[in-house]
Amino acid sequence: MGKLWLICIASISILLPFLCNAFSPETPTDRRVLVLLDDFAIMSSHSLYFNALKSRGFDLEFKLADDPKIALQRYGQYLYDALILFCPSVERFGGSIDVAAIVNFVDSGHDLIVAADVNASDLIREVGTECGVDFDEDPSAMVIDHIGYAVSGTEGDHTLIASDDFIKSDVILGGKKIEAPILFRGIGHAVSPANSLVLKVLSASPSAYSANPKSKLSTPPPLTGSAISLVSIVQARNNARLLITGSLSMFSNRFFRSGVQKAGSQTKHEKSGNEQFLTEISKWIFHERGHLKAVNVKHHRVGETDEPALYRINDELEYAVEIYEWSGTSWEPYVANDVQLQFYMMSPYVLKTLSSDKKGLYSTSFKVPDVYGVFQFKVEHQKLGYTSLSLSKQIPVRPYRHNEYERFIPAAYPYYGAAFSMMAGFFIFSFAHLYSK
Amino acid sequence: MGRTLSTKEDAGALFHSLRSAYAATPVNLKIIDLYVGFAIFTALIQVVYMAMVGSFPFNSFLSGVLSCVGTAVLAVCLRIQVNKENKEFKDLPPERAFADFVLCNLVLHLVIMNFLG
Repeated sequence: MGKLWLICIASISILLPFLCNAFSPETPTDRRVLVLLDDFAIMSSHSLYFNALKSRGFDLEFKLADDPKIALQRYGQYLYDALILFCPSVERFGGSIDVAAIVNFVDSGHDLIVAADVNASDLIREVGTECGVDFDEDPSAMVIDHIGYAVSGTEGDHTLIASDDFIKSDVILGGKKIEAPILFRGIGHAVSPANSLVLKVLSASPSAYSANPKSKLSTPPPLTGSAISLVSIVQARNNARLLITGSLSMFSNRFFRSGVQKAGSQTKHEKSGNEQFLTEISKWIFHERGHLKAVNVKHHRVGETDEPALYRINDELEYAVEIYEWSGTSWEPYVANDVQLQFYMMSPYVLKTLSSDKKGLYSTSFKVPDVYGVFQFKVEHQKLGYTSLSLSKQIPVRPYRHNEYERFIPAAYPYYGAAFSMMAGFFIFSFAHLYSK
Repeated sequence: MGRTLSTKEDAGALFHSLRSAYAATPVNLKIIDLYVGFAIFTALIQVVYMAMVGSFPFNSFLSGVLSCVGTAVLAVCLRIQVNKENKEFKDLPPERAFADFVLCNLVLHLVIMNFLG
């Protein structure tokens, strides 16, 4: 009995690290998230946001950022699947976490949410730089907007801004339109236009600028207008998803519950759009929307079912692939009309849009071009907010065998006719010659 | 009584004399001439076709034209050897000439069928 218990515990403890992987199609549920805080008051002041995450099945573990016992991995296995940094003023992480460890964590495919704030430490700024965004260099700068600020009874320096300049993407922000503007109070950051992986989800209005509200403005501020990003997302090439924002108070219960009226507009919204916005975007961050997988790539000649090892030029062939999207609980068929297939050898000889049967099966048929060589079936699907699909399957194409050419060339029929008529003429002539007098 | 006829009347007289002389040739020679004419005509048709369509299966074109030209040449040789007015081949029996003609044609058509594709 004791031995059985021992074996059970041993096997479970061996398997347990493997259960805490990054989002993978085999283990997509109930993931462990490490939340690093400046102080535990944030747990209660931001409880609405954390409860929303818990209700979706995430195991949150709250730790102080300088707790000496925190670690992201032990013995080479990661202990958590995602990391939330709600510690804008931490100078040095405790335990074995540092910027390099966080970068490795993301590089291995895990998700990250970073919230900076006013007077954010250099460490958090460094994390932001590693993620691809640049916070304002002035540590006490805030985003100020004298035209798009939120009308409120108390704060009068226009640092509480109401923004509704969202990115246009149903995948990232959910299908339902966010009616009320978002309350934001914090620092802004800029996104390099050369970086194609970072997207501005919430931009400041053209009248915003980033400066210290308490000091006089002597030089023009470096960050102005819509170039200021309030909330950015990054989808890395290994499909890790990151969220970076400059306001921790955006996640707070106070902002979730408060009403909002944008200056200059008559409509007063009962509830700000913060809760809907952040809930939807964290669904995207944790892969509950927009995560695709492509399985079952099949190709065969028209009329056959098994996959040949190579094709011949001018063959008719069919290609099919199944694409599914993770919905948070199960894999649903992905429906789109712009998944394309390339028949590629140095350049695409054939480019066809795959037609979907609405159940996740995408297929098309085409004729192999009149060129022989080693081709690839390539599907490159990169859409805003979705994971990128990059499938490639190599297939050789051979020329005609010597007995696959047409036996008689139609263009040469007159010559065949002439040769045979000469033979017939010779035959008739020889009779005529012999039997004439 | 020298130059009383113009060039046009000269050509007409030449043509008439040729026609009357040709009418006097034996029948078997006329048959050979007919055969040669048929062969050359077929060759011309093929050349015109190639000029229109292009020389794609060039081997077929060559084979077709060669069969026509080859049999024409062999028929001309037969006519020379069979013609009784020809002093050179006085001692050659016409059967021998015909046998040579048949054998050469056999070889020619063998080559043609091979090259025709």
